Amino acid sequence: MKRVDFRFIILFSAFLRIFLIIYGEWQDTHMEVRYTDVDYFVFSDAAALVVSGVSPYKRSTYRYSPLIAYLLTPNSIVHRSWGKVLFSISDLLVGYFIRSILKLQGVSDEICIYSVMVWLFNPFTFTIGTRGNCEPIICAMVLWIILCLLKGKLLQAAFWYGLVVHLRIYPIIYALPIVLALEPCNFQSGKRLILRKWSSRDIKAAQRSSTKNVSDLVQKLGVIARLLTKERIQFGLLSGTVFFFFTGIFFYLYELEFLHEALLYHLTRTDPRHNFSIYFYHIYLHYEREFSLPEKLVSFLPQVIVQLVLISRFRKDLPFCFFLQTVAFVAFNKVITAQYFVWFFCLLPLILPWSNMKPKQGLVCISLWVGAQTHWLLWGYLLEFKGKQVFLCLWVASLLFLAANTFVLICVITHHTCSPLFRPLEHVNRTKSAKYKQ
Amino acid sequence: MELLLLKVRICLVFGTIASSFQGYISEPYFEKYGSLHDSYFQDFLAHEVPLGLCEVFQNKINSAPKLSILHRRLIGEGSHRRLSTSIQFEIYQESVSNLPDHYCEAIIIEKLPSGVFADPFELQDLLYRGVYMKASAFGDTNLELPSIQSNRSLVEIHMDIGSNALTGSKHGMETKIELPIHARYPPLGDRGYSRTEFGLPDLFTRCSIKGKSSSQSCIFMSTDSTAKVIDDSIVWEVPSGNKKHASTVSFLTFVSAILSALSIVLVSIRHSNFETDDSKQS
Repeated sequence: MKRVDFRFIILFSAFLRIFLIIYGEWQDTHMEVRYTDVDYFVFSDAAALVVSGVSPYKRSTYRYSPLIAYLLTPNSIVHRSWGKVLFSISDLLVGYFIRSILKLQGVSDEICIYSVMVWLFNPFTFTIGTRGNCEPIICAMVLWIILCLLKGKLLQAAFWYGLVVHLRIYPIIYALPIVLALEPCNFQSGKRLILRKWSSRDIKAAQRSSTKNVSDLVQKLGVIARLLTKERIQFGLLSGTVFFFFTGIFFYLYELEFLHEALLYHLTRTDPRHNFSIYFYHIYLHYEREFSLPEKLVSFLPQVIVQLVLISRFRKDLPFCFFLQTVAFVAFNKVITAQYFVWFFCLLPLILPWSNMKPKQGLVCISLWVGAQTHWLLWGYLLEFKGKQVFLCLWVASLLFLAANTFVLICVITHHTCSPLFRPLEHVNRTKSAKYKQ
Repeated sequence: MELLLLKVRICLVFGTIASSFQGYISEPYFEKYGSLHDSYFQDFLAHEVPLGLCEVFQNKINSAPKLSILHRRLIGEGSHRRLSTSIQFEIYQESVSNLPDHYCEAIIIEKLPSGVFADPFELQDLLYRGVYMKASAFGDTNLELPSIQSNRSLVEIHMDIGSNALTGSKHGMETKIELPIHARYPPLGDRGYSRTEFGLPDLFTRCSIKGKSSSQSCIFMSTDSTAKVIDDSIVWEVPSGNKKHASTVSFLTFVSAILSALSIVLVSIRHSNFETDDSKQS
């Protein structure tokens, strides 16, 4: 019965996306305001250039790996909506992966379905893929990496991790928590892993048994030996090789243009135009001169501190750590656009089953976050579409949006039931009944 | 409606156009100079466009068509607007007779002021939709840079006038061109708005004439040397950042970031229970 429900949800979501793609075609043809995302035209133009044997970077504002353009070459050959179909399939895959990840942790079918619905029926996410934004591919890859790790498929996880960082740099923030999660007492390649069970959330017991083993290990092997494990070295080497392999190939093909547009641009991007970031007005007000090194460091510091603290405190609960890191990364970034929100929307369903937040509290969080965003959009509209000088109000709205992000993050942390994702392998013999059957 | 009537006269006679001028008139200029400077561009139009007499017009100088700007205005609000130009096509009917079959297009070259740009991809889309016959942006078409870091750009649009226009069938024909334009972030100021003024465009008519042995193209340039500029010059007031905000904004931005970061750090330390247990046990 439950299985049928999940199939129904996937089918319904698929039809919804097909309808939106067709509707988008109609709106693009008949209305002045287009449904299709501007980025989709960029991808399509870049793909058309690739088809004609030209560098995709001849299309200005194409700032992605050439792989995205390659994937969209059928846009020029088969149909211009090919990319939207591809992104929407990735979007559905995210729903499927969410269910798989939760099932592996013993989450009930009912909760699985609710969690999947949080992704598939989120108006923000189903419009992203159908409007032609490539983020669902990245989301699907991130979830696939988590799935691989849960199944102990280290090499697969490493391959996809190297690739996803090549495609979109931001998942680099997951490198440290992944590497730290590969503790020899919890994770050994090829061995069956013991995952936490949602149904028996005896947190304290699980934590104690886990931490005891970790403490023992520290005493036995020492810190350096603990860090340099076979799994960590394998993961680091393979993911690094994949990243540099693709980067090297495209550097060979497209030279500095590729490096600058697909990598360096994202690392050094400081956009003075209005966006959700609290830094936009500060950047605009100082754009006529170069920022000094201390100024650059000061603006980088909150981001680094928060990331390090979140990793150090929540690394054992890997999906939760990913979620917190991503929300914080977006909130403290120097440029924030709405498409970045999808990065953590795909991780939200993975943490919901471990949240003890009451519906009313959840509603307050959602209202506050959406309200702060709507408030910002109002000022943004007045500036961009009405030509009103409201920079100061828009900047204050950005501060309020940061405050809303912080509040939501704090609420999520305080209402989360922390439990380590992997349980110690030694624990297997003691609790065979809890062993996950792959 | 204010009428901005620019009596244009033919300053550059007509001629056979070299192959490089079969496409965009402005293209050779940007190949040579790279960026737009009004004086260089006018010199280029006056001296570097390779002209020769167009045989069929040799004794019919008055038959050259005239393009008059009837009206110009900015449509819309905010950072994304449309520059609308109404153009009238005029021809002295009495001077044209026995002309062979020909086909004409009106060409408008809009030299955009600093701080305003046209999106080349939007122009492509308009071409795809058949709004323009031909259109392209030249110069600095970077869509993202603020005004202070960008150079000027130019847009050349070709509009269809139709066949046998010079025989007078299209006398007095009006056409309207709407060019989508966008404002860059302007330099900082104290007033809150930056003033951007638009100059007048350069107008041309180009006709392809089928001769007995071969076809030839003739270009007619209309200038505003006898223009009577009436009061409605086009001005765009673009919101700009206020220098006075700089120190307060920077200070409060960093204070907010640090407070926000600290609150997340404190809550993380307090509520990551397994880590607390770790430390207790170790």
